Amino acid sequence: MTIARREVLGLGGGLVAVLSLSQRDVWAEEVVEIRMQGRADGSHVWFDPIGVLIKPGQMVRWTNFNPGNSHTTTAYHPANFGRPLRMPESAKSWDSDYLLPGESFSVTFTEQGVYDYYCVPHEQAGMVGRIIVGEPEAHGGWMEAVAASRGLPDEALKAFPTVEEIRANRTIR
Amino acid sequence: MKKLFLVPVLILDSSVCAIAADEVAKAPPAAPYQQVSKLVKLPDFLPGMGQLFVDPATLPAGPFLAYDHDGKLASTIYMLPTKDLNPDKSFDNLAAPGGNVDHVDVYYNAGHPGVEEPHVHVVLWHVAAAGEASVAK
Ligand SMILES: [Cu+2]
Repeated sequence: MTIARREVLGLGGGLVAVLSLSQRDVWAEEVVEIRMQGRADGSHVWFDPIGVLIKPGQMVRWTNFNPGNSHTTTAYHPANFGRPLRMPESAKSWDSDYLLPGESFSVTFTEQGVYDYYCVPHEQAGMVGRIIVGEPEAHGGWMEAVAASRGLPDEALKAFPTVEEIRANRTIR
Repeated sequence: MKKLFLVPVLILDSSVCAIAADEVAKAPPAAPYQQVSKLVKLPDFLPGMGQLFVDPATLPAGPFLAYDHDGKLASTIYMLPTKDLNPDKSFDNLAAPGGNVDHVDVYYNAGHPGVEEPHVHVVLWHVAAAGEASVAK
């Protein structure tokens, strides 16, 4: 025990390097929690946070914290009710189906890019969210999907945080 | 606590006089009313409203009959989509089987399974304001 400790102390600069490396690993493995929320009278519903920046391989978990409502997390993807594609073409779409209070749903993101999603019963109320995975290339086609607004209600379009905001702050509430 | 309990009992007594109110005073109300949480994926008991029943043919307006944890009718709720509140539409002759009304609440709702578009809740409370506590949680 003592010997090991002395060895560690003796490492000096090496220890700092190891620590920062492991901190980065921890961050990459950390599950990002998104709460589905609503006012008690149902007058307002939202994802919290509404925008997140994550790393490839990181998992996002949505949980319904709203005791009086059900919510979904559903990717904008033709596979989901023929909705417009607002996520990387090569990535897999998701749809949680209705989550009752206390229920959760998780997705692991591997492809870099911008992913937009919505809540099926609350899209018209502006309940949408945006996830940015990694460092998408500015001209890799990842902005085109975001720019397309066809078939989305104004309330949803207005609600998305911008890519710039999310990249600058990592988390947008 | 005793006061909270007594007030709704008095209101219920007066509403029992009406025949229609008698049929829906206790959950479950007779057909064609059905439990909303069996029609769409929603919690059985909605905080602030209670356990809801509706005749699916009357969606989205309803009436929805809302019961407390003891199965006693607390309110009748109408859900009116905001987009239908315009010069070309109206909601006429909506049923009101719950009988006596103590007071009315009107408020905006962003939507929920069953009535997904943003709408207005018009709530006819059959209990006094203090009795709303019975469906608060
Ligand atoms: Cu929702």
